[in-house]
Amino acid sequence: MLSESTVSKILDHGRQQGADFTEVFVEDSVSSNLTLLDRKIDEINSSNSFGVGVRLLCGDDVYYGYSSDPDEANLLRLTANLGQSQREGQPGALLPLQQQAVEDIHHIAINPETISKSERVELLRQLDELTRKHGEAILQVSAGMVEKHRVVLIANSEGLWVEDGRSYSRMRLSAVAEKGDGPQTGMESPGMLGGYEFFQNLDLEEMAESAATSALKMADAGYIDGGTMPVVLGNGFGGVIFHEACGHPLETEAIRKNASPFCNKVGEAVGQSILTAIDDGTIANKWGSCNVDDEGQPTQRTVLIENGILKNYLSDRIGARQVGVAQSGSARRESYKFSPVSRMRNTFIAPGPNSMDEMIGSIEFGLYAKKMGGGSVNPGTGEFNFAVQEGYAIRNGKLAEPVRGATLIGKGHEVLPKISMIADDLELAAGMCGAASGWVPTTVGQPTLKIDSILVGGR
Amino acid sequence: MLDLQQTVDHVLLLAERSGLKEVDALIERDEALEVEIRDGKVEKVEQSTSLGLGVRVLRNGKTGLASTERLDTNAIERAFQSALENSDLQDPTEVVLPEATNGLADPESLGTYNSDLEKLTSKDLADLGLAIEASAKNADDRISTIPYLGASRNSSEVLLVNSKGTRYHQHNNSVGAYCGALLQDGEARKTGMRFWNQRNWNPDAAQRTGEEAVRKGADLLKAQPIPSGKLPIVLDEYVAPRLLGMYFGAFSAESAQKGMSRLKGKLGEAIAIPELTLLDDPHRIGGNRSRLLDAEGVPPQPLPLIENGEFRNFLYHVESGRKGKHTSTGHAGRNYTGGVSTRTHNLVWATSDSTLEQLCRIPEECLLVTQLEGAAGCNPISGDISIGVQGFLYRNGARVQPVDSITIAGNFFELLKNVRAAGNAYQPNLTHLFIPALLVEGFTISG
Repeated sequence: MLSESTVSKILDHGRQQGADFTEVFVEDSVSSNLTLLDRKIDEINSSNSFGVGVRLLCGDDVYYGYSSDPDEANLLRLTANLGQSQREGQPGALLPLQQQAVEDIHHIAINPETISKSERVELLRQLDELTRKHGEAILQVSAGMVEKHRVVLIANSEGLWVEDGRSYSRMRLSAVAEKGDGPQTGMESPGMLGGYEFFQNLDLEEMAESAATSALKMADAGYIDGGTMPVVLGNGFGGVIFHEACGHPLETEAIRKNASPFCNKVGEAVGQSILTAIDDGTIANKWGSCNVDDEGQPTQRTVLIENGILKNYLSDRIGARQVGVAQSGSARRESYKFSPVSRMRNTFIAPGPNSMDEMIGSIEFGLYAKKMGGGSVNPGTGEFNFAVQEGYAIRNGKLAEPVRGATLIGKGHEVLPKISMIADDLELAAGMCGAASGWVPTTVGQPTLKIDSILVGGR
Repeated sequence: MLDLQQTVDHVLLLAERSGLKEVDALIERDEALEVEIRDGKVEKVEQSTSLGLGVRVLRNGKTGLASTERLDTNAIERAFQSALENSDLQDPTEVVLPEATNGLADPESLGTYNSDLEKLTSKDLADLGLAIEASAKNADDRISTIPYLGASRNSSEVLLVNSKGTRYHQHNNSVGAYCGALLQDGEARKTGMRFWNQRNWNPDAAQRTGEEAVRKGADLLKAQPIPSGKLPIVLDEYVAPRLLGMYFGAFSAESAQKGMSRLKGKLGEAIAIPELTLLDDPHRIGGNRSRLLDAEGVPPQPLPLIENGEFRNFLYHVESGRKGKHTSTGHAGRNYTGGVSTRTHNLVWATSDSTLEQLCRIPEECLLVTQLEGAAGCNPISGDISIGVQGFLYRNGARVQPVDSITIAGNFFELLKNVRAAGNAYQPNLTHLFIPALLVEGFTISG
């Protein structure tokens, strides 16, 4: 990392440039990536990412620079260059650095460094075989393990000095099935903020069955007739819709720019009373958790919506100041190459009183979106678009034939009030979220829920 | 810290010391300067330099990879050792490094670098951003906010060396600006987004980004869905490359060999309209992916993927070439953190005579698509397309209404056979996908 002396000099240099707040973010990450494809180890890769980000704040204006050269003179030059960009300002205070201890609540049971790569290779081969045994229609399998250990140091001119270590472990599985009408893909990609125990504890048979079954079902499926209809959204990754269509517009990064349908709506009803949604960075070993955020603030559990009423936004330093709310420990960034902004952590809709059978039984014709694929949203308008990875028609209150090629589109703030039933089967699922500060690990989640009407794209 | 040349030389030295005959090293250096503007002032300035080294070792038919962003001798040695260890566990790929190419032209002849852009200061970029904001704000009084507005210059340098004597250095750069304006009229909200990205500094042209972004959003403010059904579709010159660009992985020999391309076994067959020739051109002047050597050191040549509607060529890198008993076509792509994959260079779909408006007049009724909503419903393996869009309904050659809250569904491989006409222009920004506006049939609309 960097010495305290070098960090102090950068912070002082920032102050001399007229910044009222200066921050240094140092990152040293080691990652490995193993991919098995077509029954062969296709790629084994090891990476070391290292660099320093320097942020000067002059009021609400941000000056950010980064370099992968840790040489002190280089970093002081970078800080000086940033200073030249800014307007005249009153230098802020510079407080002595005070090391803050971080309580690491994310226990690592098995240090990944103690496990050989050949053991990992064996695990991937096992997963490949388990997936292929679901039938000859499984044409191709890709399985991968991604592990990353991030060590970060965050120091600022207010005297903060905090270091944190974050270990990520993730398994990816993709099965491709073909039954004469084009290849279809089934995927699983669980992840954890933790060590190698994650891989050892994975139920590989269940994971293989889920991906293979999804691909096989969709290879058998016809296309759904599109139109507006009621939709039952499966639990777990179904929460990606809330994440994209409501979570992003609740970040102060959107609110501060007046680019969200939820601006000035705190305290107002944005959904039915059945709806409560939470973003929680404090869940032990959960994929989207952290001890401190990327501004060094302790992470928190933030209630976004409670019984249908909008309660809080997710905020970083700048967003909190501009919107006039407290910091929620939500500042995140992919790496030293990004300045931090407010981002989600583990975001989920809380369990409700209904059952999936009730929901299906209440629908004459609709769609059961068992598994969702990815999607995107325009935070300013709330318009979203999501692919259904595995879907089934609902006919006369019963699950019917599998359907492929469905897409859900709508506006987040318009869909929220249409959530009328929520089950008690909450599940969380790991994902990677891309936004202004890069790709960060986030968890999405929800119980099975019913949306009374939404546009389903089909054929 | 070592410089670029010292770094790659150190990798070659390590290989020589350890008796390793085949190694290559790819080093990338990126520099960027970016400003963001909001409410008449510079809100953010970002400047950056990043470096990364990727090492690939080949021994006993196996490949090992490692990368580092620390360019000191200890870190490079650790990366080299990691690559060696990783190669032990890799299944044999039979990759051999290509021999060095003699008599290579100067990469500067590709027109991918303009040294004048390096002189642009944050003030130049800020002035441009402020001018864009001013032009946007004057364009329409329904602007609610302009949340996305910035200008930047970026440059990248790539150096590839290998133990067979290849030493290839290429420089790319560009300057760009973007504007995203949010408009509100009653309950209706729309974002209009526009990009400008060039290799010549032209602030007057760039400034129009603001007005164009606002117009784009304003035109869609009163959008409504249209009824479900089949309707001819015109993909404008921005949308066509974005949509089709998701599916060109099907031309990768590697994908076909792994059962992940529907083009497997179709060489020589008619897969598109007879008028279509799709050319991969690595030497297009100023093209975003113009190169004299690919990421393994193989010199690519212009290659038709589709010629007069017939599927002519798969794209190969060294490994897929050896597997398919074919020489590499020079389509290896790679960045320093990853392994080799198949990558197109500049894909060129010839333009025709019709303007966008003329394309919209050909059918009695059609949907002009000017905006795609995400890409999640597009499956690059099956070719399925299911995606939300926005645009305009045309009837008898006249624009009838703006349209949103609909999806279009179809299939890429069917689209190739259902193109009825192509436009006369490419979108003006730097790109590697030269695809004009297209009038296509066979899509289903859900509204």
